[in-house]
Amino acid sequence: MRTRDLVQYSAVTLGMIGALAAAPATAAGQTREQIAEAARKASPRSAEDAMKFFEEEVAKKTAAAIARVYDPNKPPATPAMKTSWGDPDLRGFWLSLSYTPLERPEKFADKALLTPQEAIEFFKEQVAADAAVDPATVHYDWKEFGMDTWQSPVRPNLRSALIIDPANGKMPPLSPEGQKRRAAAQAAAKIADPQTGVSLLQNYYTRCITGNQGPPRLPFNHDSESQIEQVPGYVILMTQSNNDVRIIPLDGRPHLPSQVRTWLGDSRGRWEGNTLVVETTNFHPDRIWRGATGNMKLIERFTRVDRETLSYRITVEDPATWTQPWTAEVPWPRIEPPLFEFACHEQNYGVINVVTGAQIRATEGKPPARDGDN
Amino acid sequence: MHIRSKGVLTSIAVAAAALWLTTIPTAGQAPDGAQFPAYKAPRTADGKPDISGIWEAMTSANWDILAHSSQPGPHPTLMGAWGAGRGGQSIVEGNEIPYQPWAVAKKAENLKNRMVVKVAADPSRYDTGDRELQCYRPGIPRANYMPYPFQIFQTPEEILMVYEYKGALRTIRMNSDDEAPGDTWMGWSNGKWDGESLVVNVSGFNGNTWLDRAGNFHSDALRVVERWTPISPYHMRYEATLEDPKVYTRPWKMSFPLYRHVETNAQLVEFNCVPFVEEMMYEPLGLYRPQPRKAK
Repeated sequence: MRTRDLVQYSAVTLGMIGALAAAPATAAGQTREQIAEAARKASPRSAEDAMKFFEEEVAKKTAAAIARVYDPNKPPATPAMKTSWGDPDLRGFWLSLSYTPLERPEKFADKALLTPQEAIEFFKEQVAADAAVDPATVHYDWKEFGMDTWQSPVRPNLRSALIIDPANGKMPPLSPEGQKRRAAAQAAAKIADPQTGVSLLQNYYTRCITGNQGPPRLPFNHDSESQIEQVPGYVILMTQSNNDVRIIPLDGRPHLPSQVRTWLGDSRGRWEGNTLVVETTNFHPDRIWRGATGNMKLIERFTRVDRETLSYRITVEDPATWTQPWTAEVPWPRIEPPLFEFACHEQNYGVINVVTGAQIRATEGKPPARDGDN
Repeated sequence: MHIRSKGVLTSIAVAAAALWLTTIPTAGQAPDGAQFPAYKAPRTADGKPDISGIWEAMTSANWDILAHSSQPGPHPTLMGAWGAGRGGQSIVEGNEIPYQPWAVAKKAENLKNRMVVKVAADPSRYDTGDRELQCYRPGIPRANYMPYPFQIFQTPEEILMVYEYKGALRTIRMNSDDEAPGDTWMGWSNGKWDGESLVVNVSGFNGNTWLDRAGNFHSDALRVVERWTPISPYHMRYEATLEDPKVYTRPWKMSFPLYRHVETNAQLVEFNCVPFVEEMMYEPLGLYRPQPRKAK
């Protein structure tokens, strides 16, 4: 249970919430940074004090993680785990989180694979940044709930980026049509005094339409837990975020006709050796995932590397958006059960506050907060 | 020969009439498929009745779990026959819910206010009309008689029920005595096999769900005991006993048959209703479409 340390942290949280409440009311004309600075000044604890509180846990978790660096080229453990009916066994609870960035950072420009020492250093740098506490942003600081990435079984990865194709570890160039759409979206975002409404929010996670903007299941933030269940003929993927359920038949049936469109797509699975290959199409035309259209084709490959690790590899094809398909791999560590009910829309106070805030900012002549800020 | 076949035909006619008579439920009797001969379902690998598949109720109980006439929709000027509701018989044993006196009044009030949509950034939003209208999770037992199919996936450790409506998910933990860790919309389900039946204890409800569009309701004290019994390769009897000392004077029972979807390549087709209700919920607050700028 990642929430086990909730009580321990609550004292710190309460102190910080108190500090926020005590911060001077937001005066017109203050920038975000000025507001944040005021909150920091008003906090009874400095960032350093708060960090001290987590020091021991950071050290313990980091030591455990760096002892097990993920090597993507290591072959899966044999014999492969199988279900009682002979399918490769992917069942369990998995976490799609990583400190490995989607695109390769400049400092590793020529290095697709790091040395174990480099991977550990890179991991430690990011843990340090993540574990830092800013009293000004504490409202969404997940570590108090045991939900930071370093508090999970995520470990260092020899890969310098999740993207493995193109070979430079970067997203491929946009196609001409993709460029045109992006330019139009950027122009729309620049319109002075944009007004807003729920209908304009392209963050479907904020609207509780899909969890974590998926599929695919790339690292997002918190709520990255998934469950995989298997029965003869089906694989079922469930996510903690929004409790999205994807039912994947393995019987070779065709996709739904292309006029049937869905937010989670229409998935068909098959086994290639010990790898589950899932092809998903029929996405909703209004769904916008990293600029892709509803005609995007998603191929996901799930391979159990060992008892504790699942390799999740995706290939995304959308000629209307990118000049070539691209592929990324995320190692998913196994986590403890269960998933809980995530009734997102039923209690979506957030979308009311997000849109109300943006409308108030618009009447003050300010741009809206970035969609998806949280 | 001639006489003999005539006799056979007569017997068939008599048998058919008898069958026809027995399939018409008498007043107050729930149409639960009890007329089927004893049936033993195919087994899963661990020897339990196999209830996996895509199932759907064929009742109008989502409009009203008690007996009801057909009805015009709430906005007949807009929706005509599209928005109208079928008439139907009760799925409740005895066609009566043993409400406490205050709850009788509350149910009538619910019916009157069933189209009220209240959206607030606090729990007062649940003091509202039927939650189905707002695409909220339906709870148990209602999910099982909504006019949408659902799919059952069965393993020895857990049984998943995935409802097409909203993709609502329910995990039944087999042979578990775990208490609900918190209140939820779909409840916390612990299951066990009792001969040919799956018996599920459901608790941990948040009290926000209704039983139908007519405003029949329960509280957070609701406990449901379900029995799922296959009665043919294509039919399953569903029975649920509802106990809620805050709302009812005694436990009461509902029952109806479920029908297996047998179409080639049958599958649930996503019904994500959130985008269908956003305008209804957020436009009255001025939050759905971009708003004209207010004069300073």
